[in-house]
Amino acid sequence: MRQTTLLVLLLATSLSAVQSPSQPSWPAQEEEIMRHFQTIVRMDTTDPPGTPPGGEKPVAEYLKQVLEKEGIPVQLFALEPNRPNVVARLKGNGKKRPLLLLGHTDTVNVDAKKWTYPPFSAERKDGFIYGRGTIDDKDNVTGMLMTMLMLKRQNVPLDRDVIFLAEGGEEGTTRIGIQFMVNQHYDAIDAEYCYAEGGNVTRVNGQVKFASVQTVEKIPRAIKITAKGTAGHGSVPLEDNAVAHLGEAVGAIAAWTPPTRLNETTATYFKRLASVSTPEEAARYRDALSPDPAVAGPAQQYLRKNEPRHWSMLRTSLSPTIIQGGYRSNVIPSEATANIDVRQTPDEDPAKFLELVRQVVNDPQIMVEYANANSANRPPTPAARLDSDAYKALESMTTKHYNAIMLPTMSTGATDMSYLRQKGMQCYGIGPALDVEDGPKGFGAHSDQERIVEAELYRFVRFAYDAVVEVARAR
Amino acid sequence: MQILRTVAVVMAAAASLVAQGPAAPHEEEVMRHYQAVLRVDSTDPPGNESGVVAYVKEQLEKEGIATQIFQLEPNRPNLVARLKGSGSRRPLLIMAHTDTVNVDPKKWTFPPFSATRDGGYVYGRGAVDNKQDVAAGLMTMLRLKREKVALDRDVIFLAEAGEEGTTRVGIMYMANQQFGAIDAEYCLAEGGGVTRVGGAVKYASVATTEKIPRAIELTARGPAGHGSIPLQSNALTHLSSAVAAAANWVPPISLNETTAAYFKRLASISTPEEAERYRAVLSPDPTVAGPADAFFRKEAPIYASMLRSSISPTIVQAGYRVNVIPSEVKATLDVRTTPDQDPEQFLEMVRKVINDPSVEVAWAARDTRPNAAPARLDSDVFRTIEANVTKHYSTIVLPTMLTGATDMAYLRAKGMQCYGIGPATDIEDGPKGFWAHSDQERILETEFQRYARFYFDVVRDVAGRK
Repeated sequence: MRQTTLLVLLLATSLSAVQSPSQPSWPAQEEEIMRHFQTIVRMDTTDPPGTPPGGEKPVAEYLKQVLEKEGIPVQLFALEPNRPNVVARLKGNGKKRPLLLLGHTDTVNVDAKKWTYPPFSAERKDGFIYGRGTIDDKDNVTGMLMTMLMLKRQNVPLDRDVIFLAEGGEEGTTRIGIQFMVNQHYDAIDAEYCYAEGGNVTRVNGQVKFASVQTVEKIPRAIKITAKGTAGHGSVPLEDNAVAHLGEAVGAIAAWTPPTRLNETTATYFKRLASVSTPEEAARYRDALSPDPAVAGPAQQYLRKNEPRHWSMLRTSLSPTIIQGGYRSNVIPSEATANIDVRQTPDEDPAKFLELVRQVVNDPQIMVEYANANSANRPPTPAARLDSDAYKALESMTTKHYNAIMLPTMSTGATDMSYLRQKGMQCYGIGPALDVEDGPKGFGAHSDQERIVEAELYRFVRFAYDAVVEVARAR
Repeated sequence: MQILRTVAVVMAAAASLVAQGPAAPHEEEVMRHYQAVLRVDSTDPPGNESGVVAYVKEQLEKEGIATQIFQLEPNRPNLVARLKGSGSRRPLLIMAHTDTVNVDPKKWTFPPFSATRDGGYVYGRGAVDNKQDVAAGLMTMLRLKREKVALDRDVIFLAEAGEEGTTRVGIMYMANQQFGAIDAEYCLAEGGGVTRVGGAVKYASVATTEKIPRAIELTARGPAGHGSIPLQSNALTHLSSAVAAAANWVPPISLNETTAAYFKRLASISTPEEAERYRAVLSPDPTVAGPADAFFRKEAPIYASMLRSSISPTIVQAGYRVNVIPSEVKATLDVRTTPDQDPEQFLEMVRKVINDPSVEVAWAARDTRPNAAPARLDSDVFRTIEANVTKHYSTIVLPTMLTGATDMAYLRAKGMQCYGIGPATDIEDGPKGFWAHSDQERILETEFQRYARFYFDVVRDVAGRK
């Protein structure tokens, strides 16, 4: 298996070397990459929108201007005036169906006082660039913008159209972003393949360890738990205190270990991960897959504590994220609620899962139900194929640029690829190299701060360009 | 308008003199004062007691009783009136608060400031909290003067503002900056009451001490993160478990003279089954006290709270987005410590119960009350109250530790012996929503009148010449 893959890789690499168009002079491009990246990071496109009018418009207009200056036609599609989606297309000869490059221009919000460097400063410091969106997802927007510019500048002949969609609303307002584009303007983005956010390259102690490409994702849902009790004066404790019961329920849910559920992607992932790990780690990854709880248990406990993303990949997961109740310190409220972020594996039965959660809570004062989330909008979809041109191109460019193995991955988070996969598009999630240590330090996506290694931004742009050329160039 | 009102008042006063007879002396007059103050909206917040104070001032001055107004902020007057005694004994302070909690008018059958008399009740915000004391205190002052009662002690009437949450302009201002005007040996104020069950008087309680309101703030911290990756360090999870642990904890039983006497006397008027439980919680043996205590925690939580310092989680507000694990979250616990509880020791116990280094446990800022010794059960005043409870209500007095806070704490902290009293109310009225702070509020007319008589007698007996 491993040898065959390598052979294919070698063949692919040598073939592409023969017919590849001339390479851009990358060091000369770094100044331009940084300019585009810093410009868009400095635009506050938080979602929900901040200071009115808010929205993604500044970034959309910047992209439009840069692309048009290069002679690439641009269309804006906006359901709401300040939240446009940008579509640009480089025409191919039509021999193959298009390739879509997807990035989102909005970011999650910020708590500005938690930032050492202001969240929209794009501060360069000690080899990092700091700012909201630096790894979610203005890195991809920049990589795809540069790819379009360079394809045009290098005059690369194409078998497929390459379409760039810089969409709004990914962080919670998909109504104006991917849903709007898929439901009302699908012709503008219809493609055979798509590259988008969702993967990355993992660095440990500054060394690349492996690349992951997202081929399937968990389904985001939210469970709302509501505790009801008697209202009363705080001076007289009540055993049915809603806040206390809610606390107990949230604690029980968080402590629970939902059953392990593997699929082809995750099984392959852990197997390949074991192949690039230390013997001790490898044993753990293999143990974690064991059907024997006595073997899997300790390994999974370790992952839960030390590698929570891996633990989440093994099962449907729950994270309590919001809790609310009470308004006055001397009044026991009659109701308190909590929201649990739930990420279900594609094969999980939502109704049965809810029943399991109810059994874990086991409290007649507590109501457990799915919140009115937009989970229904992201129904489970089949995994993207692991033998497609688009997958193979990523694998060969991972070898070329990162000299690392590529692991097919089920992402624990939701991406807009699920809407495109619904349409039959084969979508692959990619991303730059990140230091595994940055997450716990609070520099990950959605964390209090966010940053990217400057050199890794440049490497990612080269990787993305080469992968697109590999899939789309005329042969 | 002003003239018309004066004429009306004079005529009414004349009418009351005519109506005065042995059966119901002063009844019409005290009802008139009561309705008049109930009809003034003095809800707090926003807090504006000037209407009530103007009425009380006018009545007192008409009787020839001098008044003083002490005001820290506009529209927040405290009224003080003094009837001089011989000075052979130190003064008696009688205190009532003129503000009320707010109302939700649409929940009221009779408008909240109508003082409607219907079916033997008087309805209105403040009917039992605390305008019955404003009226009874005013009437007592008027009668002492009118009837030329010879006094050993000065009788000081304080109609204070801001009791319902703005003590800064009320008792704190008076105790800290105008104490000379109200300094006394003894004080009577709200805080007690007579309990009726099925229309029959069961017992009277007199507040001799109270728990101290405090608040603990729990703060849990952990890395923020994306909800798709569960973290064992999730701050919200740690907070939730801490809240549950604090709520499930049963702080040790800690009795004092008042609470021990309370349960002992309560047992004496209870069914054998109840009496056994009231006696059991007094036992130092946990195997005896435990089951009764557990019964109270479930079935009679007010008794469980009287046995100890208590904790009620009341506020949790954390997180802002369903897919983001927040890095810092807080909860508030309402804490009521017994008067002799060392706060730092209690906090240390709560820390041990929570036992989680990611959760910070600290006292939160709160409008708390100073620690103070309970009022004595062997004083003149307590004995006089007991005698008059027997005379007017033919029932037993239970000295009571209030679980809630009153303004007496500020006076006890100055060394004053304060006793909380109150009229008879039907125990069934609480669940029906007619108590203090309920959606509606009412009192039985006959009980209001009995209380006014009781109040006068207590004051006369405590302060009158011996």
